[in-house]
Amino acid sequence: MPAVLLDGLRMTNATQSYIDAMHAILSHRGWITCSKSMLTGMTVAGFRFTVQRSLQVESTTAYNWMAENFIAADFIGIAASQGAGFNFESTFPLYQKQAVGMIKESIDNGIGVVVWKDRFVVVAGYDDDKQVLYYSDGEGNEQGIHDGLKSLAYDDFGRNETPYWYYQFFENKIELEEIEIYRESLIQAIYKWETHDPMLPEGEYACGRLAYDAIISAIQTGDYIAKDGASVIGYYAGAKRDISLYIRELSRMWPEIVQAAEEYGRVAAIFTEVACLLVEWRQEISDIALNNHPQVTLLVALVQEAKEKEANAIEKLRWWMRESLDNRFHDIGLR
Amino acid sequence: MSSIYLEKLVMKRESKSFIDSLYAVLSAAGQFDGPKYLLSGLTGMAFKLSIHERLLPMSVTAYGQWGTEHQPAVDNLGYLTITDSGRVRHSTFRHFQQAAIQDTRQNLDQGMGVIYWIPEFGVIHGYDDVDRVFFAKDGISSDDQIILYDNFGLNFTSFWYYQTIGEKVDIPIEQSILESLRLAIHDWDTPFKLLPGKEVANGKEAYTYWINALNSGDYDAGGAMYILDSHIVSRTEIRNYLQYIQGTWAGLKDVVGLFEQLLQHMEIAATCIVKDREARRIDPTFLQLFIQSLESARLLEDQAMGIFKQISAGFPDPKRTTLPRWGTHSAR
Repeated sequence: MPAVLLDGLRMTNATQSYIDAMHAILSHRGWITCSKSMLTGMTVAGFRFTVQRSLQVESTTAYNWMAENFIAADFIGIAASQGAGFNFESTFPLYQKQAVGMIKESIDNGIGVVVWKDRFVVVAGYDDDKQVLYYSDGEGNEQGIHDGLKSLAYDDFGRNETPYWYYQFFENKIELEEIEIYRESLIQAIYKWETHDPMLPEGEYACGRLAYDAIISAIQTGDYIAKDGASVIGYYAGAKRDISLYIRELSRMWPEIVQAAEEYGRVAAIFTEVACLLVEWRQEISDIALNNHPQVTLLVALVQEAKEKEANAIEKLRWWMRESLDNRFHDIGLR
Repeated sequence: MSSIYLEKLVMKRESKSFIDSLYAVLSAAGQFDGPKYLLSGLTGMAFKLSIHERLLPMSVTAYGQWGTEHQPAVDNLGYLTITDSGRVRHSTFRHFQQAAIQDTRQNLDQGMGVIYWIPEFGVIHGYDDVDRVFFAKDGISSDDQIILYDNFGLNFTSFWYYQTIGEKVDIPIEQSILESLRLAIHDWDTPFKLLPGKEVANGKEAYTYWINALNSGDYDAGGAMYILDSHIVSRTEIRNYLQYIQGTWAGLKDVVGLFEQLLQHMEIAATCIVKDREARRIDPTFLQLFIQSLESARLLEDQAMGIFKQISAGFPDPKRTTLPRWGTHSAR
């Protein structure tokens, strides 16, 4: 049996997120034609804002993959199936076999698969003779085979640096009213801003509005590694920029929310600046010198400003969506 | 066009409906020949206690998000298990419904019954493609329930759920027993599993909800009886399970004693029930005695969990010291 490969399915890696993988697969399948920014907004993924309190790089993927990635697809009318677990579980070999079978079936159906291989990647083929999956992770061709694809032995599926295995495949598209997708995403955006992810211990993680306070606190105490903090804030700069573009697109239909797009644009710019500053100076001064250090004062002021901007943006969205919110905000699930 | 009818599959409501269903599926497939309490104990399901603030009958199955609760339970038996569920209102429901129908048929073809929310949990044990129907058992009626393919997943609650059981790996029994104690500890120490909602409390806090509802007088009388009956059954299962495993670690014998005492208090509680024109209810004269029994039960169970914690602390616990990427979430 020769290798089975999906023609032209490659991940372009703008932000190292789940959306990169989803966008590649759904575009390749022909189920979406929108930009990655639009997808980031419609799936609500870009509104997720979670930080580990010492700004570890894990911040950007420390969320409930099963719940959030499922509903991301559901929001845009895509039916998805998935599996996840710890690879140290006794039952892992059973699930590994099951996962590889489902991944191959999806490839046979012409649809790529999202897989966790130390980050979200796209499986684009397999070879039963060699017992390998082929995946694209958005990096260049250098070490690649099959034109940029890398190989992963069936037996290595789910064996990652962290103990998680995960895969998700897309099965079907249900036509939804575009306008309803947009409306839903704005309601969910407000919810995300206000709500802590119940999977995460609050002592270690902060979400939405409170994530800003956690960043400020980390900057003030110096309890973070500059490179990691910069990477996390840089990642969210990308997400806020995507959201800004998304809301700007929606504002062509709803001019009332254009200001929210502007606010998000400003948040993205501030985050980019903060990420640069963090790398530049943090290593050079001792923790004791942090108090009243002009750079700390500057960074805190910047993050504070970003917080106000995003709060303004959310208020704008809340005002715009007020009727729907009144009707159901006691239970966000009532959609 | 084909049909299947698993004649051997028998379901009887005794324990939690999920365990009754699982027991029926595994027994019919010749994969489990132990007593039901062993299944209830090893899965940790017997320990689960959830109480709605008004003692509604749904309390008994409201022990969390089912996928999140049942996955570790079945994991601990070593089976591969596939669950799908959701809210009927989700735009993708019809797609998943069709996939679930096919998956259910395939499992039946292989001789495996399928756990299904009727409600409560029951087992689909047959299908007929000509009439486009499934046959299900609820463990109460000897008659089959008929579920049209087109109505799969639709019921008076807003959610649908089904679960299949697959291949198995052997897990050393000591490892499973230890994990069952940890599942019990987690349930005892997790007051709310359906956050942001707090209408239902779990574990230790569930006893408090139970007592508060009785004190306030504002509760569902039928639900109160169902909760009591279920509690006596599950605590009896725990006692039997602990007797079975008591040789595994020092300390477990003491826990057997604690649950023996707890059952004596529940017997006292049961004597506070009167039959009032066919309906059972708590005799108001003995309400305080009933409540005292619950308070004693809570204290004894708390002591038991203390011993479980001592045992658990002697071994590494990667499942609870590693943050997952699944589990608790809010319904959206």
